[in-house]
Amino acid sequence: MEAPPVTVMPITSGTINMMEYLLQGSVLDSALESLLHRLRGLCDNMEPETFTDHELVFLLKGQQGNPFILRARRSLSHPTAPWHLRYLGQPEVGDKSRHALVRNCVDVAASHSLPDFLNEMGFRMDHEFVTSGHIFRKGAMKVVVCNVSRVLVPGNTENTERMSLSHLVELSVLAPAGQDTVSEDMRSFAEQLKPLIHLEKIDPSKQRH
Amino acid sequence: MQQREEKQLEASVDSLISLVAHVKNALQNFIYKLENEYERLTWPSVLDNFGLLSGQLNTINKMLKNEKTPSFRSQVIIPLLLSQKPDDDLTVLTEQRVPVFSHEIVPDYLRTKPDPEVEEQEKQLSTEATRIGPDVAQKQIQALNKMCSNLLEKLNNPREDRDAESAASRLNKPFFNPGDTNALVAAVAFGKGLSKCRPPGPMAPGHPGQGPMMSGGPTLQQVTIGGGPGQQGGMGGPVAPQQQGQPGYNFTYAHHHHLSLFHWL
Repeated sequence: MEAPPVTVMPITSGTINMMEYLLQGSVLDSALESLLHRLRGLCDNMEPETFTDHELVFLLKGQQGNPFILRARRSLSHPTAPWHLRYLGQPEVGDKSRHALVRNCVDVAASHSLPDFLNEMGFRMDHEFVTSGHIFRKGAMKVVVCNVSRVLVPGNTENTERMSLSHLVELSVLAPAGQDTVSEDMRSFAEQLKPLIHLEKIDPSKQRH
Repeated sequence: MQQREEKQLEASVDSLISLVAHVKNALQNFIYKLENEYERLTWPSVLDNFGLLSGQLNTINKMLKNEKTPSFRSQVIIPLLLSQKPDDDLTVLTEQRVPVFSHEIVPDYLRTKPDPEVEEQEKQLSTEATRIGPDVAQKQIQALNKMCSNLLEKLNNPREDRDAESAASRLNKPFFNPGDTNALVAAVAFGKGLSKCRPPGPMAPGHPGQGPMMSGGPTLQQVTIGGGPGQQGGMGGPVAPQQQGQPGYNFTYAHHHHLSLFHWL
């Protein structure tokens, strides 16, 4: 038997299974400057990047229980840059001693027709928000300090209002599965930011209620 | 008498040479560290190096002030022979720093007085000092001593006093609000507190108007690389004209990854 023609063979993904390690905290606006100063000293020596992003979260409700969630993000400060589509899995319930939240993460770039494409596929936009803030990097670790604003009129990103008087601080690392030293490094970095902020592993499912 | 003086002179010159050699080694190590290991250098170790150098300079000062040391000011060094030819012995002796004992090195190495500008400045300072009078000078000295002792006291005092007052002030101003943390995390994770949008009814899939279909023509063709034909229907939405400027690259890359996503569904 001949091998089937190439176009019929299924395309297997060539991506490595990437996990996102995450620690979250927040800082009041009044203490934001001190936090930025400290991060500027601790992190790699580069001008901290500022960003303004608009994120839309799409849900696909299947017959079974949990809906499938995809997050589409576009930059409001670079309107021609491609969209960023991200899938985040359920947090791994591994050993409790692991200090960071670990979940599977798949990131792709997408064109500007992404929301329409997702709508055609059957996804529905569940909620959207606008974040803007700073990104710092230290080696593989990324620290994002941003404020979250809700979009008052769907689709209109000019009209936003701040959700709270605090900025969200996230420390994340994207690493292949199975590297446990990553969470140790993250924890020691988080120690250096105390008592200004407490970065900890917050389980999102516990926040639901 | 003279022999004793000569012996003293020789001994003190020898000890001076050895102390200066210590300083030179310390400087060499320090410069090496600064040039080659600056990424790993910490401020405390830099301070250690400076401390070492200052200690060695102190030793040299003490040795010079020692009563057994004859006054070097009364000694005179006169060069007996200057030549333009490189001297091998001298080169080896000075570790390649002075290859030729010539006319240009004499004013530098055999100098006994400071530069004219420096001498000017020193003269100005000493006239200034005599001008202000002993009382004013004494008051200034006292003020300086008082400030130094204040500073030393603050630095040496037990840390608990300082920590207590700074901890108290820190408690009054919390830097973060845990309630806010939870609210923000909930908002980002699943939209708690953000208005939920439910657009009315699903858009008819694969139903492009005639107009968008025409503009989407070239890009739809580029998408057929390796994909099943069924995917094209989903791309029927209006394609922004700017995409034609960046032809297939974004689409095919995204398309390939969308296919990998389908494994999840």
